[in-house]
Amino acid sequence: MHATSILSTWAGLLPAQHEAAGAAAQVAGAVDGPAIAALAPLLPLLSFVLCGLCAAFKVRSKLPAWITVACLAASFAAVVATTLDLREAGAGSVMVTPLFDWINYSWGTEAGQHFRANFAFHIDSLTCLWMLFVTGLATLIALYASEYMSHDVGMGYCRFFAAFSLFVFSMACLVMGDNLVLLYLGWEGVGLCSYLLIGYFYKKPSAVAAAKKAFIVNRIGDLFLALGIMLCWVHFGSVEYREIFARVGPSLELLREGKVDQIPGIVQLIPLLLMVGAFGKSAQLPLYVWLPDAMEGPTPVSALIHAATMVTAGVYLIARTYPLFLLSEYALPIVGWVGALTALLAATIGMAQFDIKRIMAYSTVSQLGYMFCGLAVLGSVGAAAHVFTHAFFKAMLFLSCGAVMHGFAGQLDLRKLSGVAFMKGWGVVGIAMFVGCLNLAGFPVITAGYWSKDMILGDAFATPGMQAIGWILLLTAGLTAYYTFRVFFRVFVGPKHFEPGDELHAHDDHGHGHDDGHGGHGHAAGHAPSHADFHPHAPGWAINLVLGILAIAAFAAIVPLMTGGDNGPWLASMVDGSSAKYLGVAASQAAHAAGHGDGHAHATFFGYDAHKAMMVVSGVVGFIGILIAYLLHYAGRTTAARSKADSLLPAFGPLATAAQHKWYVDEIYDLLIVKPLWVISNIFALIDKYVVDGLVDFLGWAPRAIGRSLRPSQGGELHGYAIGMAGGIAVLVLIVLLVTF
Amino acid sequence: MILFSLILIPLLFAALLALAPAAQARSLAFLGMLTSSAAAVLAMLRFDWNNGAVFANEKTFPWLGELGIQLSVGADSVSMLMIALTALLGPICVVASRTAVTERHRTFFGWLLVLQAAMYGVFIARDLILFYICFEFTLVPMFVLINVFGSTNRKHASVKFFLYTFTGSVIALAGLVYVAKFNAELPVSATRESLAAMMQAGGTPAPGPGVWTFDIETLGRAARRMSSTEQAWVLLALMVGFAVKVPLFPVHTWLPLAHTEAPTAGSVILAGVLLKLGTYGIFRFAIPFVPAAFAEYAPLIAQLCIVGILYGGLICWVQTDVKKLVAYSSVAHLGFCVLGLAATNATGLSGSILYMINHGLSTGALFLCIGMVYERYHTRSMKELGGLAAKMPVWSTFMIFFTMASVGLPGLNGFVSEFMCLLAAFQASSAWGSSTTMVEGAMDAGLWGSAGASTVGATHGGLGPWYAAIAGIGMIVAAMYLLLMVGRVVWGPLVEPHGHGGHGGHGGHGGHGGHGHDAHGAAAGDHHDDHADAHGPLPADLTAREIGVLAPLAILCVVLGVYPKPLLATLEGPVNQTVQLIDSARSMGLQLEAPAHTTSPAQGGAPTQGLAQ
Repeated sequence: MHATSILSTWAGLLPAQHEAAGAAAQVAGAVDGPAIAALAPLLPLLSFVLCGLCAAFKVRSKLPAWITVACLAASFAAVVATTLDLREAGAGSVMVTPLFDWINYSWGTEAGQHFRANFAFHIDSLTCLWMLFVTGLATLIALYASEYMSHDVGMGYCRFFAAFSLFVFSMACLVMGDNLVLLYLGWEGVGLCSYLLIGYFYKKPSAVAAAKKAFIVNRIGDLFLALGIMLCWVHFGSVEYREIFARVGPSLELLREGKVDQIPGIVQLIPLLLMVGAFGKSAQLPLYVWLPDAMEGPTPVSALIHAATMVTAGVYLIARTYPLFLLSEYALPIVGWVGALTALLAATIGMAQFDIKRIMAYSTVSQLGYMFCGLAVLGSVGAAAHVFTHAFFKAMLFLSCGAVMHGFAGQLDLRKLSGVAFMKGWGVVGIAMFVGCLNLAGFPVITAGYWSKDMILGDAFATPGMQAIGWILLLTAGLTAYYTFRVFFRVFVGPKHFEPGDELHAHDDHGHGHDDGHGGHGHAAGHAPSHADFHPHAPGWAINLVLGILAIAAFAAIVPLMTGGDNGPWLASMVDGSSAKYLGVAASQAAHAAGHGDGHAHATFFGYDAHKAMMVVSGVVGFIGILIAYLLHYAGRTTAARSKADSLLPAFGPLATAAQHKWYVDEIYDLLIVKPLWVISNIFALIDKYVVDGLVDFLGWAPRAIGRSLRPSQGGELHGYAIGMAGGIAVLVLIVLLVTF
Repeated sequence: MILFSLILIPLLFAALLALAPAAQARSLAFLGMLTSSAAAVLAMLRFDWNNGAVFANEKTFPWLGELGIQLSVGADSVSMLMIALTALLGPICVVASRTAVTERHRTFFGWLLVLQAAMYGVFIARDLILFYICFEFTLVPMFVLINVFGSTNRKHASVKFFLYTFTGSVIALAGLVYVAKFNAELPVSATRESLAAMMQAGGTPAPGPGVWTFDIETLGRAARRMSSTEQAWVLLALMVGFAVKVPLFPVHTWLPLAHTEAPTAGSVILAGVLLKLGTYGIFRFAIPFVPAAFAEYAPLIAQLCIVGILYGGLICWVQTDVKKLVAYSSVAHLGFCVLGLAATNATGLSGSILYMINHGLSTGALFLCIGMVYERYHTRSMKELGGLAAKMPVWSTFMIFFTMASVGLPGLNGFVSEFMCLLAAFQASSAWGSSTTMVEGAMDAGLWGSAGASTVGATHGGLGPWYAAIAGIGMIVAAMYLLLMVGRVVWGPLVEPHGHGGHGGHGGHGGHGGHGHDAHGAAAGDHHDDHADAHGPLPADLTAREIGVLAPLAILCVVLGVYPKPLLATLEGPVNQTVQLIDSARSMGLQLEAPAHTTSPAQGGAPTQGLAQ
């Protein structure tokens, strides 16, 4: 990659000086935010406390679910109110709602001698955008979970909703915090909730291992994030966004003047550290390995945390600190390449999996790669748009898979299910799945997923030096369409067939995970544990309602993408009004304008305008993917277990096997990192015992041997030591006295 | 007087307890702990938290006047916070030992009270000898607690604990006494002389240069006038003593042994307060006495800390004994704590003092949790225990909570201090802004831009970003071993030792002779109708008493994690004062090296011409 050339190109694309200065002035002149904004995080916290009390008082009803739904809905309302307030304050305004002091101390009066990281909320349009879909989706998914988790009513139910509420609180802190340390609090907080919820079925060793893995892998990213924050502090003397953005000015000036090599190296290093944190949380190479395993958690958790919200925190971090990323020669190109390679790698793995939830997990990893690419190619609007649309359709896909899992006793193998959409009571699930698949596959024109993916692809081809990334993403788009519809054609249409999962047995004997009573439900009760007698348990009203709303929302997501007021489409104006705009969007718009103007600064797709070309090309690619899936997995398929694709597998030889085994990445990490570390730790333990301690014992041995011969009475008697001690002090004092006087 | 009562009340109750019948021992001890804690609370209420650097409630009684030894006490905000921690953990330990200690009540609770008195004494002493006596006297009660009430290998553990730490502190004493001698040999300044003469008439020598005294303030002023060689030797002596206590790598090996063998209350006090005597000692003596030497050797100390963090952490990871795991985690955690001190800046010192408190809360609570399981199952092996969440949901909740506090999860107490210690190490580099830093070679030196302007948040110091980055790996390692523990003990399939699974509560409690099991067996039937597999006199999950023991700690973990502001505010005084000492020592460093000391304006305003003589 020609980083320098890219950067100098960018420098040419920067907005006019007064524009950036205006943005800085807006940032500096933050007004006091509405108090209601504080309710957005505090209501979920209240819900957490109430659910905890429910657990303490052993509530055995659906009360925790209703508490959670009510609090989250109110939290959503608070976000809406805040957003309206913000609109009134005008485009691009920033409001700060302080709550109380947190880590706040000083050791002098000069700049950089006062550390301040308070509980205060930074409200701009980026915050509102994120909070709108976080709280909105959380409310819906909590409603869904009220039914989904009903087999666990009791302790488990309380535990689930408490962690769920705590997650929303943490996510709100992450998104709304006015400084990087509060972001870090939310960052690790969502990690904790993810850990607790992945490990929800704590009796299953695989769930425990997955939870642990998620936390530890995230911690690796967190370390870099923390170091980035520290570097930020050392350079800017502040961790608050407003201060940072106000002090980033001199470096921006250098960038604008093309004196890139004079930007302090420290400044350039900050984004390099921050982005590793983002890679951890958003499951990018090389830290993506935790996310597929995280599917051990209950499906609502996978939908909310591991698809729609938490994993987009990395995208949020980069969007939030976008001005810093623009100052580094290397940061955005690395982000782009990591995103593109992750997108491709995860898609190839997703193609070869059989567990539909895992396929969706890899698809999430892959789509997150798209979002990172969107940021890297200066299309923060595209990235945010994809976060937004993806949140809806991916949550819906997961919830549909969850409904299947719930109804078929944990069955997730696409070879053991077929024609589900045509079974009695499964219509809504089938439609929701279809809508979700269309969006994920990027079905042209009518789906929101198509438009948001298109923005990223268009920006990739339009940004000089980023075409290679564009090609990778285009290929991935085809693969995505294929594996998405592979699931749909195998599981939801075709001949009706099913084999229930193994949770059927679990309900009868060794209570595999579902610990506290599953009486309220009775889908296993009354049935002998044989497949012949098994009846799929069609979803009830809550699940159907949520899926219906989401299906509409997934389409409706087009509206903010495509329509809006004077400042362009709503979504774009929300991103533009925040720090994510700053330079990036302006630059891409400038690129756009330039492309129409002289065609030099603006790269093209074989001579065509990249964005327009992509509308056609990506649509065609998506079609091809769907068509291949149709031919291989639907046309002429008579059983659930086999399709035409099976006969093609040998042609790919070891590649297919390797993809099925996730390219052996887990095994490689285990071999290269975990095992050696384990051996080293054991060696340390031995060294500690025999060398470090052994030396001490040896040193202690000689005088003790002498002591034993001198004082036969010694043998661990207390008074012996007490006297010895007193005597020792006396002798020392005596010596001192003799020396002195 | 209120501070004196902190020492006297527990001692008084210990004496009462020795005379009272054994059956009353526990209630008397509890009363004694509560009374002394009430006195501590009173002292805290009377303390002016806005002026944290001022030693309040100072009181001096003549003692061995002719030796310059006085009974002198006083407390600044650092002392007050440590007193608060002690006052909190003392009563908790008594309550927590209700069922754990079944014999020799008088011995156990008596020594616990004595220990409490000694710990208070360390934190309030303003006289070196009083400090040292208390410092050393903590060893005796702890020795008894381990030796008599410990588990199988208790004899070896207690002897090792005693001899190891005793040896260390004697060396520290040598350093302190050297300072006293140095002070006594300084020339008496004119005004001082008359003052001293005046006071001598009254029988008490006024502390000051040229007078044989052990007043900490005076000795500190004197010590800072020592030559750099002398300072280095004194630092070495002090660090040997305090590092053993902390413990720092490589003098830490007594700790896992002592912790593993100690009874629960002993472990709690050991981890909660006794280890802090080392870090407190560094803060109170090593840094203010020899700031120049400390600043000079801080990188070396920091390196030892980092080794401790990573090496200790990785050893934790392969432990199978839960208690040993938590014990080794103290080596790693205290590494962070001392790293903050070694950063020699305000962030580091504040963070480190907070760390002392926070580690006391979270690790103390972890030991309590482990003790509660041990009382039920009589094993600490992770091979024999597993999946207790299924059986002990309340305990599991606490366990996970305190694990997270220990991991340093933001929002809980551990994070604030850990982050501050790491940040302190990160910023504490005099190389910041001088354009040859960090990613040497990886980036063009020119990229670092103009000096100074690019690093407003940097402070003086010999550490730097690499120290923070490598120590920060300890954050990951901590997650590895603590979550491994949670994954094995709390989560996973239920595993219980033989004789505990499924059938009646009075099965064989292996290898625990003489602890009154007959009584338990009889009681078991009555107490637990619906807990078929209850253990001893305890139900499967926590009792109200046990919840009462853990809940205050949990609440404090949250409060200090969310609102550490008052603590940070009150620590600004003493911390900034100490940082000034270090910084001025650092800036005078060259002058100290120079052969003539006549020109240096020494700390405390006294000229140093005395050194020349």
